Amino acid sequence: MEQEQVAKTSFRFFGLGGSNEVGRSCHILQYKGKTVMLDAGVHPAHQGLASLPFYDEFDLSTVDILLISHFHLDHAASLPYVMQRTNFHGRVFMTHPTKAIYRWLLSDFVKVTNIGSTSPLDKDENLYSDEDLAESFDRIETIDYHSTMDVNGIKFTAFHAGHVLGAAMFQIEIAGLRVLFTGDYSREVDRHLNSAEVPPLPSDVLIVESTFGTATHEPRVNRERKLTQLIHSTVMRGGRVLLPVFALGRAQEIMLILDEYWSQHANELANGQVPIFYASNLARKCMSVFQTYVNMMNDDIRKKFRDSQSNPFIFKNISYLKNLDEFQDFGPSVMLASPGMLQNGLSRDLLEKWCPDDKNLVLITGYSVEGTMAKFIMLEPDTIPSINNPDMTIPRRCQVEEISFAAHVDFRENLEFIEKIGATNIILVHGESNPMGRLKSALLSNFASLKGTETEVHVFNPRNCVAVDLEFKGIKIAKAVGN
Amino acid sequence: MSSTIFFKFRSQKDTSRILFDGTGITVFDLKRDIIQETKLGDGTDFQLRLYNPDTGEEYEDDSYVIPRSSSVEVRRSPAIKVNGLNGRVSLGNASRYVTGKPRVNKMS
Ligand SMILES: [Zn+2]
Ligand SMILES: [Zn+2]
Repeated sequence: MEQEQVAKTSFRFFGLGGSNEVGRSCHILQYKGKTVMLDAGVHPAHQGLASLPFYDEFDLSTVDILLISHFHLDHAASLPYVMQRTNFHGRVFMTHPTKAIYRWLLSDFVKVTNIGSTSPLDKDENLYSDEDLAESFDRIETIDYHSTMDVNGIKFTAFHAGHVLGAAMFQIEIAGLRVLFTGDYSREVDRHLNSAEVPPLPSDVLIVESTFGTATHEPRVNRERKLTQLIHSTVMRGGRVLLPVFALGRAQEIMLILDEYWSQHANELANGQVPIFYASNLARKCMSVFQTYVNMMNDDIRKKFRDSQSNPFIFKNISYLKNLDEFQDFGPSVMLASPGMLQNGLSRDLLEKWCPDDKNLVLITGYSVEGTMAKFIMLEPDTIPSINNPDMTIPRRCQVEEISFAAHVDFRENLEFIEKIGATNIILVHGESNPMGRLKSALLSNFASLKGTETEVHVFNPRNCVAVDLEFKGIKIAKAVGN
Repeated sequence: MSSTIFFKFRSQKDTSRILFDGTGITVFDLKRDIIQETKLGDGTDFQLRLYNPDTGEEYEDDSYVIPRSSSVEVRRSPAIKVNGLNGRVSLGNASRYVTGKPRVNKMS
């Protein structure tokens, strides 16, 4: 109700989530009477309604289209809520592989949050039901990479983002104004995905992730070597390795690395007697999706697929576990388990079981959000709280290491991409306040020589529900008026 | 016989309710009950605002009594930094409704 009318020529960015935080991504764009919503995530450190973007702060009935960048929960998991429980009635788009995986992921998300409810009276604990998911699913439309859709004068095109299978960047064009939203993106060619693309047409506004701020990644080969060596030495001393992973996406990259290493070092690894498990029913169900969309991955994995005529995502050295009941915990092993931030479920149960033993290793490979157990355990606390028994704490003596395979750009990659895009207005999203603030300063000093010129670069790091208004006079020349 | 207040988050389609004893409920108690009922957590990272859906007016006074059977509109918005009277910066959030300590010196 406080939303004043947006002036005809001004562009407004309004973040409902994922501004100065990682989690519950949701951004609103308004220009020339059109409204575009980007992503509809949940915050992994919260549950239920508290995990939602601040939807009460915007009239969702005014949204024309909603574009979902990729299937990760922090970008997609509140979509059924938006479509079923609010007055939103816009059109929703995502890529084909995103939609295929989204279906499995979210029905799993509904189940997991169901188990989390303690009392049978908590029927409203869930944000949405299986029925909501099924009813809204058919109304989701798909878009091919590099094809342009036009919905009532809003044109948009999907480009590869290189983050997970199906991840897209969207370039949106309204009345000649072009906005590029990166979503989560990577500029590195890894074992299965290509690097994010630079769209052929320029953009006036760039909405870009800032997860790693001004940090620099070690080269990928070094990280791979560290990962395999750490795991190798742990199992050699009789320890167990816990790799908390998000079920789909980066987990497949880790498995490609481990499966190859295990094949090459079978003799040293007690003649293949050290097992690798992946405790995820979901991943097994989704393997066909990974096979179907091999043509959207990089040349290397496509070649493997062609040459061997087998699915490179069917691993020789990794077995799937449905649950922990069928797991016989006798000796050293390597276990990939969800969820990736150890909030609850399988990975948390294993953590509580294994963390008292100093022979064991917890290896964090994803990005850990503030407020989650994964973030906490990296501080190497003496004890951790038990999730099944809140009055109890568990001693932590296991080794804890972090090697990132999160597939987000580092500072150098981000800067290079930002320079290639050449937008004069940059809005930072998807980053905790401190790294985001550092990135803003670094970008401003990088572009300092353009200050006062027509191509001066403006960088914004708004908080949730604080609008950024940009004035476009006849397009191209932008002047910041808000924030 | 318990009394009812109907509430609806601004973005939601469905209405929910709070049950209590008495002829009315204070804004403070209603906010606390809504946070509890909807499991919004400890209140540190958001503010909870209540509005009269007919007039659009916000119920700002924690001690105001809302008569039973009324409907209220609820908005969950981000916590904000508040510049206090003595120059101290505090966080404007909903945590006091969870801890149960009403605000002492109300501004204006
Ligand atoms: Zn992601
Ligand atoms: Zn993300």
